[in-house]
Amino acid sequence: MEQENYKIKAVNLLRSRICDPKFIFINESPESNHSKLKFMISSSVTEACNNSILLLGPRGSGKNAVLELVIQDLLQEYPDSISVMRLNGLLHSDDISAFKEIARQLCMEHQLLFSKAASFDDNSQFMVAMLKECGLAHKTIIFVLDEFDLFAQGKQRLLYSLLDAMQSITSQAVVLGISCRLDADQLLEKRVRSRFSHRKLLFLPPSIEDSQKLLMHMLTLPIDPSFPQDYAVEFNRKVQNIIEDRGFLETLNKYLNVDSSVKHLLRFLFCAVSRMELQTGFLSRENFEIAFSSIQRQPKLECLRNCSILELQILVCMKRLEVKEQNLCNFNSVMKEYKSTLTSERYARHVCLRAFEHLIHRELICFTDNRGQSLSVEFRPVKLLISSAELHQGLRANNSCPPKLLNLMDREG
Amino acid sequence: MDEDKTQQLPRRMTRSSASSSPSTSNNIVAAKVTSLEPLTINDLLVGGDPISLDDIISSFPGRSSQILEVVRHLGPLNSPMLPLFVYGSSSTGKTSIILQLFRHLNRPIVFSSCRTCYNQNILFESILNQLLLHRKNAANGYLNAKRCERPSDFVNFLREALTNVISNLKEKSEKLISNEMTQGKIGNMIYLVFDNFQLVREWDKSSTILPLLFNLYDLLNTPEVGLIFISSTSPDTFYSNMGYVEPIPIYFPDYTEEDIRQILLRNQVNQKLYSSFLDVSLKSFCGITKQIDDLSAALKPLYEKYCEPLSDKGKGVAPNQEMKRRLLAHINPHIASSLNEIFKVSSLSSTEVETRKEEKWKGNLRRLEQSKELVSLDFHISTSAKYLLISAFLASRNPATLDASLFDSKGGSDNRKRKRKPSEKAQERKETLEQELLMKGPGTFPLERLLAIFQCLVSVAEEPSDEEEQNNDGLGVEGGNGGLMSDILLQLSSLCNSNFIFKGRSCPIEGSTRYRSTISEDLALKVARSLEFPLSKYLYRS
Repeated sequence: MEQENYKIKAVNLLRSRICDPKFIFINESPESNHSKLKFMISSSVTEACNNSILLLGPRGSGKNAVLELVIQDLLQEYPDSISVMRLNGLLHSDDISAFKEIARQLCMEHQLLFSKAASFDDNSQFMVAMLKECGLAHKTIIFVLDEFDLFAQGKQRLLYSLLDAMQSITSQAVVLGISCRLDADQLLEKRVRSRFSHRKLLFLPPSIEDSQKLLMHMLTLPIDPSFPQDYAVEFNRKVQNIIEDRGFLETLNKYLNVDSSVKHLLRFLFCAVSRMELQTGFLSRENFEIAFSSIQRQPKLECLRNCSILELQILVCMKRLEVKEQNLCNFNSVMKEYKSTLTSERYARHVCLRAFEHLIHRELICFTDNRGQSLSVEFRPVKLLISSAELHQGLRANNSCPPKLLNLMDREG
Repeated sequence: MDEDKTQQLPRRMTRSSASSSPSTSNNIVAAKVTSLEPLTINDLLVGGDPISLDDIISSFPGRSSQILEVVRHLGPLNSPMLPLFVYGSSSTGKTSIILQLFRHLNRPIVFSSCRTCYNQNILFESILNQLLLHRKNAANGYLNAKRCERPSDFVNFLREALTNVISNLKEKSEKLISNEMTQGKIGNMIYLVFDNFQLVREWDKSSTILPLLFNLYDLLNTPEVGLIFISSTSPDTFYSNMGYVEPIPIYFPDYTEEDIRQILLRNQVNQKLYSSFLDVSLKSFCGITKQIDDLSAALKPLYEKYCEPLSDKGKGVAPNQEMKRRLLAHINPHIASSLNEIFKVSSLSSTEVETRKEEKWKGNLRRLEQSKELVSLDFHISTSAKYLLISAFLASRNPATLDASLFDSKGGSDNRKRKRKPSEKAQERKETLEQELLMKGPGTFPLERLLAIFQCLVSVAEEPSDEEEQNNDGLGVEGGNGGLMSDILLQLSSLCNSNFIFKGRSCPIEGSTRYRSTISEDLALKVARSLEFPLSKYLYRS
């Protein structure tokens, strides 16, 4: 039992790290975004001035995580001088929800009674009044607007009110917009853009070398009493060997070439660590190879492998119609092709129609029109959602595919 | 005793658990109905008797690698996880396996199906009701625990509820540690499961609710919460122009033919006999579909036919080679016709199905079925409505330019006399028109054209009686015509409501409504035959 315990503990530790953004993005070097952001906000706090900053970068590059780390540091340095308001564009993109949420968080922060029945005007005026009061008390309010581009849809009243209130002499506030759109500031209206200070921080994916350092950071166990020392040392040695292995680096490069963001890398690590053999208690290169193949999915090919023979026949008929440069086809024209092409083993029309509908459910084909009700299924125009190469590959991968069908496809291609 | 009883109650009935212990299920359901005690944290467990991983693997043939993969991703007790996306076609065991695994692991889940929770509000309320251990009853006026329409309210309530549940789980966990109980650990994690997740794509606010649910993991930022999405379509079908962090995909492929054989063999009384039946039939049927539900329904009547020569209807006899050959010879003629019956949904009652089954197997099968279908009309409508239906069919199928020649006073017979031998150019035009008909389907027509054709057909049909009426008085003639023409617009409206005729939207410029006939040619022929109307004379053909 004791033997099993620390191995499970190792898996849990690694999984906890992978699921914890703060553990991943600790980076205190002067050139890092962490330091730059901390300096900007810290200056605003100490100099009692307003600021607005945009954090831009692809999804999974650590914008939110770094910001949370910075806020954590600042709350330790200036515990009584900072209040943090967090909004998210997915939840609060309409102005009513946004002002209500700000009022709710302000009330919670300052032990005030929050009224759900308060109107839009009440909440917006309350925000302006609180900004003034906090400014007089030399307290900085930090507004975090996640999914900033969603706040820029619509009338942008929140942004305008917020930035306009910051024009006043007494207020002290920092607005931090987080977005994955590089043109987030271009979405702002002229009156809002003129009040924004246009400071931007770019978050870029790490290089291959940095990714390798990150792997060591993520996957090595601490040498402390929580684990048996010889186990931890052996574990770390094995991890080192895996990370330096040429084959592993090829796999890692292949994976990161698609998407080199940190979150994407973490998915890969999560799959590998989840497959760690609990009997040995060590990670192996095999764990990473299997994780790579299981996480890289080809859904269309999987669908084709699942198709029945009749469904494959229908797809081949549609491909033949496509090759004949027939721009639109529907079930009737496919059936016409089906009857002329396949002379043996033919099925009834309604059976073919059901197979046709199965293909629509699998999303290998789709309707091209938006009118759903006016025409029955047989007459609605459809198109193929797979390429010739995918269909070729799918026919070969399908165990039930008759050779005749493959020949038919080869002749057309 | 009460707590033990509570843990025994299975909260969710799945196909496998219902079939595995039918008698126990009845008792449990009865007990569940009577007990209306307040819900506890244990009600978030799947419940039922403890089940081992080996039992689950043997219960689901062909799914062992998927089961182990899900278990690994769920991880050890109290282990955080990234969101999972479990996908595969219908009837591949996704939902059943997830529920059985949580039963095996004995961990709390909040299960919501996006089919029963068919919009955003209902989904939110279902999740919060479960987390807040709320049961709708007469005492609370069948209200939800929380009323939330906005996503922001939902997330605030969800955070609050999750914090409370996780605190309760930790307290429970500490008690168990102090009692030194190794069994019965449920851990500190709570899992949110979204089933039938592909349906969210069609919701009204899918462009905002989908990114919200996919980003729920980041929004909550709580390591004790695990998210599992179950979908019958693959991740690439969830289109989004703003992107989201992708969950870990776990794929459930369709069953192979061997898997299907094993699944169908379960619960069969005579394994060897059914196995020999599958030898002759399964491959053909798998060529059409591989969905277990369709195959099971299609093979059942065929198996009964297969067992007919046996005296005991296949109860206990193990077939030898000679018997296999005899059974094969008996069933072979029926396999081909059964293949074409595979997707037919019978609207007859079960006794009528039996009677019809006897008739079907007799005599010349194909010809009998064909002629029977042509003769009978399954529903009754008035004569006037029948003429209206035929008029709509002709208006949709025929080009409007032919109306003058087809619908003159002589009823279209002149058209046949004037017909000439088709030239090469006419042949080409004919093919083009045929192609056009295949592609476009029935055309649309204005109301005026329909009424004109209808009046023409009715007047042709009334021709014999005109002579009789002329012998009497003038009022009689007028009365006869008026009878067939009465309430014509109401009947048209009824046909539209019955989906025999589709009424399109009004053109904002012209202001006229256009109609389209939706019936097939077979149905039109049936209606015409019931009136003894020569439909083929009026159809534009080669």
